[in-house]
Amino acid sequence: MKRGSVVRLTIALALAGASLFAAPTARAQQSGTITGRVVDEVSGEPVVAAQLSVVGTSLGAQTNQQGQYTIRNVPAGAHRVRAIRVGYAEVSDSVTVPTGGSVTLDLQMHTVAVTLTPVVTTATGEQRRIEVGNAVGQIQAAEVVQTQAVQSVGDLLTARTPGVQVLGGNMTGAGSRVRIRGNSSLSLSNEPIYIIDGIRMESSTNSTAIGVGGTTPSRVNDLNPDEIENIEVIRGPSAATLYGTDAANGVIVITTKRGRAGRPQWRAYVEQGLVYDNHDWPSGFYSFSAPAAPDEDPESCYNYLVASGDCTIDSSFVGNPATNDSLTPLGTGHRQQYGLQVAGGSEAVRYFVSGEWERELGLLEMPSAGRNRLEADGVNILEHWERPNTVRRASGRANLDIALSPKADLTVSTNYIALEQRFPQSDNNVNAWGPTLFASTSDGSYGFFDPADSFQDETWQDVDRLIGQIGTNVRPTSWLSLRGNFGLDYTSRVDQELCRFNTCADFGTNREGFKEDTRTNFYQYTADVAATGTFQLTPMLNSRTTAGVQFFRNLFDQNSAEGDQLPPGATQTSAAAVLDASESTSDSRTLGAYIEESLAWQDKLFVTGAIRTDRNSAFGRDFSAVYYPKLSVSYVISSEPWFPQPTWMNQLRLRSAYGASGRQPNPNDAAQFFSTITTRLDATESPGIVFNALGNPNLKPERSTELEVGIDGTFWDNRLNTEFTYYHKDSRDALIDRVLPPSLGIGSTSRLENLGQVVNQGVEGLVNAQLVDGAAFAWDVTLNGSHNTNELVELGKDIPPIIGTTIREIEGYPLFGYWERPFTYADADGDGLISETEIDVAEDAVFLGYSIPKTELAFVNGFEFWNRRFRLQALIDYKGGHKLYNNTERFRCVDAANCSGIGNPNASLFEQARAVAARVGEDGTERTLAGYIEDASFIRFRELSLTFTAPASWASRLGGRTLSATLAGRNLGFITDYTGLDPESNYGQGNVPADFLTQPPPSYVTFRINFGF
Amino acid sequence: MNAYITGPRLRRAATAALLAALPLAGLTACEEVDRSLAVTDPDIINPGDVNSAAAAEALRLGAIARLNQATSGGESFWLLGGLMADEWRSSDTFVQRDQTDQRAVEDNNANVSDAFRSAQRAFLAATIAGRELGDFEQPGWQVGEMHVIQAYIENLLGEHMCNGIPFSVLNAEGAEEYSPRLTTSEVFERAIAHADSAIAAASGDEADDERVRNAAAVMKARALVNLGRYAEAAAAVADVPTDFEIVNEHSQTSRSNQIWALNNSGARWTMSLGEGGNGLDFVVNDPRVPACRPSRTDEATVPAFLEPCPGGTASRPFDRATPVPFLVQQKWPERESPAAWVNGIEARLIEAEAALAGGGDWLGILNTLRAGVDGLAPLTDPGTAEGRVDLLFKERAFWLFSTGHRLGDLRRLIRQYGRAEDDVFPTGEWYLGASYGDDVNFPIPQSEHNNPQVDVPTDAPVCIDRNA
Repeated sequence: MKRGSVVRLTIALALAGASLFAAPTARAQQSGTITGRVVDEVSGEPVVAAQLSVVGTSLGAQTNQQGQYTIRNVPAGAHRVRAIRVGYAEVSDSVTVPTGGSVTLDLQMHTVAVTLTPVVTTATGEQRRIEVGNAVGQIQAAEVVQTQAVQSVGDLLTARTPGVQVLGGNMTGAGSRVRIRGNSSLSLSNEPIYIIDGIRMESSTNSTAIGVGGTTPSRVNDLNPDEIENIEVIRGPSAATLYGTDAANGVIVITTKRGRAGRPQWRAYVEQGLVYDNHDWPSGFYSFSAPAAPDEDPESCYNYLVASGDCTIDSSFVGNPATNDSLTPLGTGHRQQYGLQVAGGSEAVRYFVSGEWERELGLLEMPSAGRNRLEADGVNILEHWERPNTVRRASGRANLDIALSPKADLTVSTNYIALEQRFPQSDNNVNAWGPTLFASTSDGSYGFFDPADSFQDETWQDVDRLIGQIGTNVRPTSWLSLRGNFGLDYTSRVDQELCRFNTCADFGTNREGFKEDTRTNFYQYTADVAATGTFQLTPMLNSRTTAGVQFFRNLFDQNSAEGDQLPPGATQTSAAAVLDASESTSDSRTLGAYIEESLAWQDKLFVTGAIRTDRNSAFGRDFSAVYYPKLSVSYVISSEPWFPQPTWMNQLRLRSAYGASGRQPNPNDAAQFFSTITTRLDATESPGIVFNALGNPNLKPERSTELEVGIDGTFWDNRLNTEFTYYHKDSRDALIDRVLPPSLGIGSTSRLENLGQVVNQGVEGLVNAQLVDGAAFAWDVTLNGSHNTNELVELGKDIPPIIGTTIREIEGYPLFGYWERPFTYADADGDGLISETEIDVAEDAVFLGYSIPKTELAFVNGFEFWNRRFRLQALIDYKGGHKLYNNTERFRCVDAANCSGIGNPNASLFEQARAVAARVGEDGTERTLAGYIEDASFIRFRELSLTFTAPASWASRLGGRTLSATLAGRNLGFITDYTGLDPESNYGQGNVPADFLTQPPPSYVTFRINFGF
Repeated sequence: MNAYITGPRLRRAATAALLAALPLAGLTACEEVDRSLAVTDPDIINPGDVNSAAAAEALRLGAIARLNQATSGGESFWLLGGLMADEWRSSDTFVQRDQTDQRAVEDNNANVSDAFRSAQRAFLAATIAGRELGDFEQPGWQVGEMHVIQAYIENLLGEHMCNGIPFSVLNAEGAEEYSPRLTTSEVFERAIAHADSAIAAASGDEADDERVRNAAAVMKARALVNLGRYAEAAAAVADVPTDFEIVNEHSQTSRSNQIWALNNSGARWTMSLGEGGNGLDFVVNDPRVPACRPSRTDEATVPAFLEPCPGGTASRPFDRATPVPFLVQQKWPERESPAAWVNGIEARLIEAEAALAGGGDWLGILNTLRAGVDGLAPLTDPGTAEGRVDLLFKERAFWLFSTGHRLGDLRRLIRQYGRAEDDVFPTGEWYLGASYGDDVNFPIPQSEHNNPQVDVPTDAPVCIDRNA
């Protein structure tokens, strides 16, 4: 969009929002109060936490624990009051407010069997779902956490809303990887941003300064899931426009629990669980020919050498340290969690206070053989060596809602998290425990180092995190609401690694001892100020106008010290003979402003238009500001009198939205700069400088525009809800890390340029139904799914294809697609073995498939029985249409030479052929890895839970109100054609999942008791 | 009852709405906004701060650091060239190293790309530093030193890469100036020109001037030898003392000796023992290429004279499936061991080659060199032209072990001495059961297609040809 047209649109929107400042202030003093009670129409019980609003104004209230509410400062005259709450059908009624007086309006709500939350959170505040032109994914976190084996926010997000792909962590404390509506960016992160209680949250993946080989934590998983009320997923630019630059990958909005007026409601919970591995680790296969002479060792005799007549197998061995009781580090982990929460308050002050302590011992433990060896050597075995993978977390939260006056509220949210997590050397790392199992030797022992040695390499991370938010909402008049929200997410992260003198795997200089200590501070600042005017333009037309300004700052500040060559007993860098220090800082700032106009016609047609502009410190010096427009329409077509009104249909809504958002470059991507380098000259370390980065003065954000259309319906007395959405996301000015020709010789290997175009399009669907809803038995199902196609439309003028070993970026194909030279094979001589002459490797690489799932489906079945006191729920998760490079098996065949295809004469022809193709190649040189790029589709039994809710009398006998117990399991099994350990084996947080000597995700079984009093 | 907007109110509303839109307009124009978004990053050095004599000196040190990284301080062509030739074998699991060892290198090989980029970084750093040193009228030997680095890199890449090497640079304004592909001969001619520039710049009487002139002389002679102009080469180095050398210094805090790191410590590389039939056996108890036996190496598989390695040496290869013995060099036995990248010994070897070509006392030159080392007996004349060339090149191989000369020498045996590729390079069955390929040099990385001066289809090789 050109600058001039943007300005015109801004003015047009502003004019449309005329009502903001045109309200009749003369009537401000002529106001009264609406009070009342909201009850269940069948039981007469109070409806707690129902949200009431005066239509056409910014006024509203929430019911307390007795179902009572009060709305003050309502202009005298006739009004309509609306009540909404999840689980109930929306109701409204008319009332006339007397000048200076009070009027009572009691409402009755009736339950509906299945319903989505009637309110969604948008960038400009809460809105009724039917008013929003987008599908917004919702996860009722509070409910899920109590009844499922959920260990992290990543687990909460997994398979619960369409279009959101979560690849979970592969060990205790490992971070998750989240993609919403596919990958859009070739060179920047494709992770969404996170908002918690209205402020930006530190959510980096790979959040560590010390690598252990791949597995890393994510800051998102610092949060305590038990403190979260709900999570909303804003899937793309059409909905995320007003979240500004950086929101193009979607926004995950987290709302924490808050208090409700009434006496204190306590809740205590205890969870105990087991963590275990549920996979068949591969054996190592070795075949040997007879020794040439009695005093010589036998030579390896691989299948393909037998096939070509180069050797004859004399002896074979099969070994597997993973299944050897004395050698395996795979044990059983233990998880425990204890929490106490209280919520309550008065009309004036409401509070929610929570505290939790959690410890998870991962499934790894020092193998007994190694332990015995160390003990025999007199080594004092430390606890951290015995159980090298642990998480300890304490979390405290205090949320306050204070009514400063009838016209002003104050909200305060504080969250403190103390975390310590330890990771063993893992994944792509010669010191790691996984590779040493995968590369097992012919005597059935470890391929590299004894885990008892590598577990002595201590790597841990301490996090102290404070998330603070303070917000005000001032309503000087009935039509005007002023909002301010300020917050800081501060994280202090200390990463340390220690190999004490004469400990750790005997590799390189490990056993000389070393210590690394890296201290990082993260600051995420948010300032968000907005004004909303709500006005009834005509009896049929309501207007809501919001204008606001936002400022975000992301500051990263790191200092690191490393010491090598430690004396015995020393554990600090300062004790080392060789010291090194470094520091790193980055600062990114965004200032944005927006204006949004929402019009509601007869409460059935809703039109919203908005525009946002952003400036950012990372933009190039020749680029000023970016503008993002938005337009959405929601039409409850079933409310039209001409529309058929069958009894089985409750509501049918059409919706569409168009919007734009962006992804900002990294802080220094636009700058041309030199860097420092140290050299040793004349026996002295001397500081030098070298040219590092070309910079790009024209750098601007990657811009994604998205069109979304959908249809939502509720049927059969609200027992069936459906949502179907089509989206088309077009990312232009895509930031491509343009590879610089090596002959240029500058430090950076690439320069970020706005070059490409990437398109994602797909469909999403959600169906939930209450199939049976009896007094004694109930059955509900939920099916959500999505299908996404991705295409790199343009890489950029004169940009050659980006070609990696197995991943290529080719126009007309998806981002991060797998490419390799295909091969065929035939056992021409019928000897059951494949030789290098029996494979045929194609000359050119071809596209083999997506690297992330194209299709996902999640199917939840819930049964309630025994007077609905028991609930049995199962979640089946399907992901498919993608490939995964089984680099682990490739390693075993090509490098470790212990895979079945190499050393097992009974291996399938395919196993042999792919090994020959990768290891030797056609005619000894034409190799391909195509045989290891495998279909990774799977069906996983993701969750199973059985919850018992005790009768109130049982709880009262214990002095409480509620009592429930849940037995739950996670990652209980899967079906796949993938030949690696697990199609979700992944240690990378990058754009392509990586299964390379990687441990698969663990399984969990937990038992939890919730007690309310 | 609510009030609805009427005419006067509409006008007020329009005015107010325009006020509301002010944040949008203000955001794009206000200087205060500019200030609030101005970020000073302490991690970087702005070009404006690199504009002084002190900065020129820092750039010079940067160029020396880059040269260090491109030679003994990195996984450079000092190692990769020896891996393609017969100095080294891979003892780890990386397929990229296997490709080089097998002489079947793909143009997206990350190791090769990194080594090529590292060499070009040294070239660019020297180019920029030389320019700045000149602008701020620093001593001539410093400018000459940068020209020597340029000449060194041109020689190194000319000896290792295929025909068609670009040398792009940045101009004084920091803008790219892309280079077309230069033929191997053009590259060596440029090396001669840069060496001459160095000699001209270092015209003073200080020790540093002499040091730079000696280095430039060896660089010039090396390029001349690569062009087959032996007599000119010998003349160029006539004044270079045999004991002259310039070393890369190493330390744990700046940069470890990477040959030590990748062989002695990391066990990812192992020394060769007569690789592929034609390869030399470098573990022959020669004091110029000392070696040791790691603790877990089977004594029966390695020469009996090897002494156990000192403490801190890797005990076995990174990849236990490595089918050749794990052998550790002791030429650079420690992390801090300095490595000479130019020396007077090479000058004498050049003179010997010129003497052999011109009928001079080549053997005397070689034996004079050997006399300076305990344990080296004098050589005898093998009596045949072919034998003399073999002996000369073997001497070069041992004197210059793993310093980026061996691959160039094997190529010269083909190019200048008429040997067949199969008589020079490792051939036959490669250890995984496959056979050796036919590479005699490294391809220009595929990413060089991003160079607008490389006018070839993106699916075609950048190299003009892969000949020796």
